[in-house]
Amino acid sequence: MINVEALTKTYGKLEVLKGISTTVEQGEVVAIIGPSGSGKSTFLRCLNLLEVPTGGRIVIDGVELTDPKTDITRIRQRIGMVFQHFHLFPHMTVMDNLTFALMRVKGLSKEEARAKGYMLLERVGLKDKADVYPSKLSGGQKQRVAIARSLAMDPEIMLFDEPTSALDPEMVKEVLAVIRDLASTGMTMLIVTHEMKFAREAADTIYFLDGGLLVEKAEPERFFARPQSERAARFLEQVL
Amino acid sequence: MRNQFARRLIVSLVCAVLLAGCWLAFAERTEAAEPGPGKTIVMGTSPDYPPYESVDAAGGGEIVGLDIDIAKHIADKLGYKLQIAGSDFDGLIAALQSRRVDFVMSGMSATEERRKSVDFSDIYYNARNTIVSLEKFSYASLDELKGKRIGVQLGSTQESVVADMKDTQITKLSKIPDLMQSLKADRIDAAIVEDAVAAGYVGTNADLHFEMIPAEVGGEGYAIAFPKGSPLTAEFNGVLRDMKSDGTLQAIIDKWFGTEKDAEPSAATSGLNFKRLEPYAGYLLRGTYVTLLFTFVSALFGFVWGAILSLFKISNVAPLRWFSTVYTSVFRGTPLLLQLLLIYYAVPQLFGYTIPALLAAGLAFGLNSAAYLSETIRGGILAVDKGQREAALALGIPYRTMMASIILPQAIKNILPALVNECVALLKESSLVSVIAVADLLFRASVIRANTFLAFEPLIAAGAIYYVLVLILTSLARLLERRMRRSD
Repeated sequence: MINVEALTKTYGKLEVLKGISTTVEQGEVVAIIGPSGSGKSTFLRCLNLLEVPTGGRIVIDGVELTDPKTDITRIRQRIGMVFQHFHLFPHMTVMDNLTFALMRVKGLSKEEARAKGYMLLERVGLKDKADVYPSKLSGGQKQRVAIARSLAMDPEIMLFDEPTSALDPEMVKEVLAVIRDLASTGMTMLIVTHEMKFAREAADTIYFLDGGLLVEKAEPERFFARPQSERAARFLEQVL
Repeated sequence: MRNQFARRLIVSLVCAVLLAGCWLAFAERTEAAEPGPGKTIVMGTSPDYPPYESVDAAGGGEIVGLDIDIAKHIADKLGYKLQIAGSDFDGLIAALQSRRVDFVMSGMSATEERRKSVDFSDIYYNARNTIVSLEKFSYASLDELKGKRIGVQLGSTQESVVADMKDTQITKLSKIPDLMQSLKADRIDAAIVEDAVAAGYVGTNADLHFEMIPAEVGGEGYAIAFPKGSPLTAEFNGVLRDMKSDGTLQAIIDKWFGTEKDAEPSAATSGLNFKRLEPYAGYLLRGTYVTLLFTFVSALFGFVWGAILSLFKISNVAPLRWFSTVYTSVFRGTPLLLQLLLIYYAVPQLFGYTIPALLAAGLAFGLNSAAYLSETIRGGILAVDKGQREAALALGIPYRTMMASIILPQAIKNILPALVNECVALLKESSLVSVIAVADLLFRASVIRANTFLAFEPLIAAGAIYYVLVLILTSLARLLERRMRRSD
């Protein structure tokens, strides 16, 4: 599904990614963990070219992202992304946030788009918030709307960039429940997270990044029980 | 979303109707065509010089006067349709040269200086210059004016009367009413104006006095001006000769000098007299419409073009960035008045298109305003959270749609107060357009000043209208802002 080869990213002299290679299978749920500054978010953001890689190749379903001829806008329509700070469109109601791209990009009629919007709001438990503006929502509700907004485009891959880091503790649960629910549907997902318990329960694979390198890649049980590298062991010691 | 679509549709319809309205307004002033029998010929005149030409503001707003009657008679005899285009006096020669008008009759003396740029007909009237001063001084000759401060109308023949005078301080103003007001305010000691004008003002202002200047000084008479080499010159001269011999010319002159319509007894030399403005209310209101229409067109154009320029400025394409930077620097770095005059007079010469005054003004103001707005809008765009852009990109929304529907609406909300400032500035600066004879509010106020010999009242009335317009504009903006803030 996703093939990454020797991915590097530098900002001036700062080398953030120092050559990451990996393969993500269809339906695989990957939790990306690691200390801050390890390049987790940059790696994720390279996968839909919000960051343009400095070197290496990214191939998704046989399409090379880094090829200048690739229509990146079309690829992005197949990859959903959820941000730490939600980034809902503040001047649109919840329903308009969900239906905007459906109508303007996918060309759905207003009725079709709204029907889909309601379905998704129901799925994230926010059907009654369809006509309010984002400013009236709590953080957890905003993030659930943001997830629904991404799902509206029927993505094949979902990227989560620290989806619960900006939330009050009591709201983390409701968002994780939605993501966990999504993982069970067979969606291919990459999640940058600090929620170790969640990573352990929901992920098929753990990526441990440190210093711009993919230091360890393992099943959750094995990773959390017997980390192979010293760096991973030290990290787990600190966070658990 | 349907709602938004409907709203957009309504907005575009309203725009379309207004633009069509503008087009009609522009189209009223047809271009000066090559003369020929049955065709329309355009006469340029500065209608602030009763009784030669003035606006019958209390009537239909038409330009009337001695010159107009003569022109009508000649056009009739030659089988032309006559159209009259009002303009500032100092713009008349340029209008001839750029072929906006076929001929000029505006109490214009046939001076040697002017003969270098235009052809003149035979002289049809010999005006005499006078010295107007306060009653208590009553200067009677040019010798008495030695060492005094003298005022003349800018671009008039009186300029040459005073040109050779030594030890005097000359003030040149473009409007006669301002000269008279300067006299009363003791900014000048005497004004040199023509007999008919002097008689008009002295008739309504008891504290003024005028004396004829002996005729050998500045003896040129009034003549009709044509572009160099115009075939009309000979045709007009033929009719003028007939008019002189059969007495028609004298009859017209007697008609306009015999009845002094406006010369009311000067009871109201002190205090303000708004009563006399009453007949002009409709005339002034039509100027309000012109001002509003013009402000709307230039604000709309300036905003759209400014938004495009701001996108250039944040674009990845270097030439677009350079273009918009240079554009802004040029349009901000030169006076608006200069841009206006250049567009109005240069476009016909460079492109052979006689650009209508209102269109030229809308263009100049729009282009200028866009330079300022592009910076404001750019700031507004940069102030929108970067995450908005990333969220839109991640959804696969194309750049243009993202800018139009996600980024700009938020940017505009942020800069709404600055946009309102710009609109208010445009509304007030719109008074500059009177220099190219767009009959806006302030232009009409000056016309009324010339007609009524009232110095302040028309200005105060126009000021009040401007103020009310700004009040309405700002309260509309407040409504809009409240509406945009409902998502907060």
